[in-house]
Amino acid sequence: MDDNGKTQTPDDRHSDSPLPRFAVVGHPNKGKSSVVATLAQNDSIAIAMEPGTTRDSHRYPMKVDDVTLYELIDTPGFQRPRKVLAWLQGHSLSASDRPDTVAAFVNQHSDDPRYHDECELLRPIVEGAGIIYVVDGSVPYNREHEAEMNILRWTGRPSLALINQIGSDDYSADWEAALGQYFQIVRRFDAVRAPFEKHLELLRSFGELEPNWREPLDAALEYLQALKFGRDHQALEYIADALIEMLGHQQTARLGEHESAAPLLPTLRQRWQAWQREREQRLRHSVEDLYQHRRLQRQESDLSLPDGDDLFGERTRQLWGISKGQLAAAGFGAGAVGGAGLDAVTLGHSLGTGALIGGLLGAAGSYYYSDKLTKVKLGPLSGGFREAIYGPLKDPQFGYVVLGRALVHWYQISQRNHAGRDVLVVTDSQDHWLEELSRTDRNGLQKSLQALARRRFEPSKRQRLIEQLELAQQAFAQWQLAKFSSLH
Amino acid sequence: MTSSLTRLLDFDDQFRRDSQQSQAFLHRRDRRFAQQQQEQKRPLTVPAWLAELHALNDQRQSKGPDPRLRRWRQARWIFAVLGAVLGAVFMAGLLVYDGSRQINVTLLLVLMGLQLALALLTSLQAGLGWQPWGGLLGRTGEEGDPLQALRPALSARIAHTGGLMFAISGLLTLLIMVLVQDLAFGWSTTLQASADSYYRLVSLVALPWQALWPDAVPSAELVAASQYYRLNETPVSDPALLGTWWPFVLMAWLTYVLFPRLLLLLLAALQVRGRAGSALRNHPGYQPLFYRFDTPWVETRGEEEVAREPAPAQVNVSPLPASGTLIHWAGAGQTSDELIQRLSHDAAPLQLRAGGNSSLQDDAATLQQAGERRQPVMLVARGWEPPTGELSDFLFDAREQWPAGTLIALVPLADEQGGELADETLLAQWQRFIERQKDANLLLCAATHP
Repeated sequence: MDDNGKTQTPDDRHSDSPLPRFAVVGHPNKGKSSVVATLAQNDSIAIAMEPGTTRDSHRYPMKVDDVTLYELIDTPGFQRPRKVLAWLQGHSLSASDRPDTVAAFVNQHSDDPRYHDECELLRPIVEGAGIIYVVDGSVPYNREHEAEMNILRWTGRPSLALINQIGSDDYSADWEAALGQYFQIVRRFDAVRAPFEKHLELLRSFGELEPNWREPLDAALEYLQALKFGRDHQALEYIADALIEMLGHQQTARLGEHESAAPLLPTLRQRWQAWQREREQRLRHSVEDLYQHRRLQRQESDLSLPDGDDLFGERTRQLWGISKGQLAAAGFGAGAVGGAGLDAVTLGHSLGTGALIGGLLGAAGSYYYSDKLTKVKLGPLSGGFREAIYGPLKDPQFGYVVLGRALVHWYQISQRNHAGRDVLVVTDSQDHWLEELSRTDRNGLQKSLQALARRRFEPSKRQRLIEQLELAQQAFAQWQLAKFSSLH
Repeated sequence: MTSSLTRLLDFDDQFRRDSQQSQAFLHRRDRRFAQQQQEQKRPLTVPAWLAELHALNDQRQSKGPDPRLRRWRQARWIFAVLGAVLGAVFMAGLLVYDGSRQINVTLLLVLMGLQLALALLTSLQAGLGWQPWGGLLGRTGEEGDPLQALRPALSARIAHTGGLMFAISGLLTLLIMVLVQDLAFGWSTTLQASADSYYRLVSLVALPWQALWPDAVPSAELVAASQYYRLNETPVSDPALLGTWWPFVLMAWLTYVLFPRLLLLLLAALQVRGRAGSALRNHPGYQPLFYRFDTPWVETRGEEEVAREPAPAQVNVSPLPASGTLIHWAGAGQTSDELIQRLSHDAAPLQLRAGGNSSLQDDAATLQQAGERRQPVMLVARGWEPPTGELSDFLFDAREQWPAGTLIALVPLADEQGGELADETLLAQWQRFIERQKDANLLLCAATHP
């Protein structure tokens, strides 16, 4: 969009630019598909295909409003490179006719099943695509791929070599030196671990292959960045709506005039918890759909979340709830703590014995996350019946648990690569992610969560909540990054 | 007015339906609509969007109000009828005149003031969002009820409708009574009020229409003449004079009961419309919709690949044949003396190379040398790399050139040091490769220790 808020169509920008197309080629099993899956954000590609079974090449266009800005082409691996090179050498008179000779090879062998894979991978290149040659940087360099590299050089097309790190050993430096002789640009790229910014960086380097590819690629990158930003924001809206519904949820049942409410408590609590779990699941599905992790959605969750998968588990509470020590030390308002613990904790801290008192209260922490604070309330009598109402949970921890779990799931999904590797989430730490927020922001968030739990949340405040969650989202990501850096 | 409510409800319905759809589908659909509106130079609004979706889905086309508003409409009718009946009864009751004593203007003024106060209180309550009567409308805070935020405004509108009907029917009753009866008004109060101060009071009350209708402002003489005491049965000097209060009563009713109600009803209607608009703008689906309108649809996924499970293979590992001929495919395991000792029957086996960076001529020479030995051949390959067409060609050429029945043992390794391949998936991949060669004398063997 331009400054006036008008939408420029991709046609306006580059109607006369040629379409940049990139054929991702290489030896079988060197991570070509991972590279394409990552760059095309398509997790259906990263399926280990068995080489030797015939494959066709697949195109993954990057489209903006149905206008293609660039195209990635996933190709089968080389099967008979030495024979192809021998054929080429046997049919070429001089260096100048090499590209034509490659085209002639494809032309002549298009119906030959033995060279099906080579034809599939060379055809897009002959038709003008740039070459992205993928090698595995975790195995030592050897000369056995030289035939492939020579064939690619014969095509005369702009080329970039990508050193993909599949295993743990690193021979990238050797590869870099060797590949430099054959390819214009050599880049290292970890297809399964590289964060989103690295994807963009790599795509930008594709633009260096040919001058008139730069403009459409830069435009594409802008759109991709905006897409990521839009998704992050949309995820916040989903989280906000889930928080509003979950924190204010009430489970009700009808009760006869003289019936006691006490026996209803376990059933109501159970239904209330089931509803909460289902709502959280819905939130997760929405976020996964947003980032287009379709395999994840199809196969149920194969994410390994750090707190197991129970919203009401003790471990969950320990991870995402806030201990009273943290509450007091982090400067929350008095309302946040609830109960009689506050004075003791703040006093303890001021006297320098906070750790001791905090520890003692921490041991009693499960009290705060139990249903002792929620009783079944009774509505007014009407027609011989009254309504028994369970919820919302007044416990301030619950809001932080829901939020913490939502943020960690969002973080994993937004950072998760479409090549399918889980993102490491660090939770084993003493400090709380909330500490990354300023005192004012923490208090603002706290007030909103309290208002939600008291069902006094005005719909007009939703926008404000989303803004607060945005700060929380940033704080969470920052906290993860800091944890991650301290680990490495 | 109801259209803004219907729009809100329709929007909420659509939002709920959409929540079942994928984000990608919604973005494409709405972006297409936005582009279409732009092309046709039509405004990009929620009603236009809803109309388009309704048309596409054969949904409600009529502009009629939503059935969910029925309860509110019914309540409005009940209040209107109730207001009209009560207004007539109220006025008739006040104006009952049996000739024994005058109709007290003071009482009329007090009741009009009460009406005004009630009207103002209703609006104030709606403005502040109080719902002391909320329980009557069912449980508050129904999750996801889009009309939740509008309840105070809607209730105020209903109350003012009733109030207005009350005022109108009261007014009509007053006019009828004036027409069919000889009403004698007077004023009376327990307080020590002189006719002069009462005159000042009624002049103040009549201030709004003083210039408009001077006859509707009681004169000082009229005020003095119409004071009465219930115990004092003083005869009225001029009975016709007492009837001339009616224009004042009429104008007071109009000014302090009817017009305020009308004005507050209009304000309540505006408030309903405003609240409906703001509820729409604050709706969880509103901002995302405009985001989808404004943001180009970016698609990178291309075609979806259908997962192709490899055919199941029964891995059949044969024992190593006794042989002293080893071919290292692409140099696999060539440097591991330990492996060579493990595989070979001879102390000094013949080690050959093929594939990888060997030339095709080298491969041919290897084939020739191995064939001349007339014994089983062990072909060592990197197990973690998939078998390629070149290996398949090599085996084909070997079968062509070597004596019939020569056993070929294909030995995939687990690593460069010559470890035994144990990975089931990789073994299955090699097994399938062997099956594809359709060669009974080609065996899958493991680099096991003898």
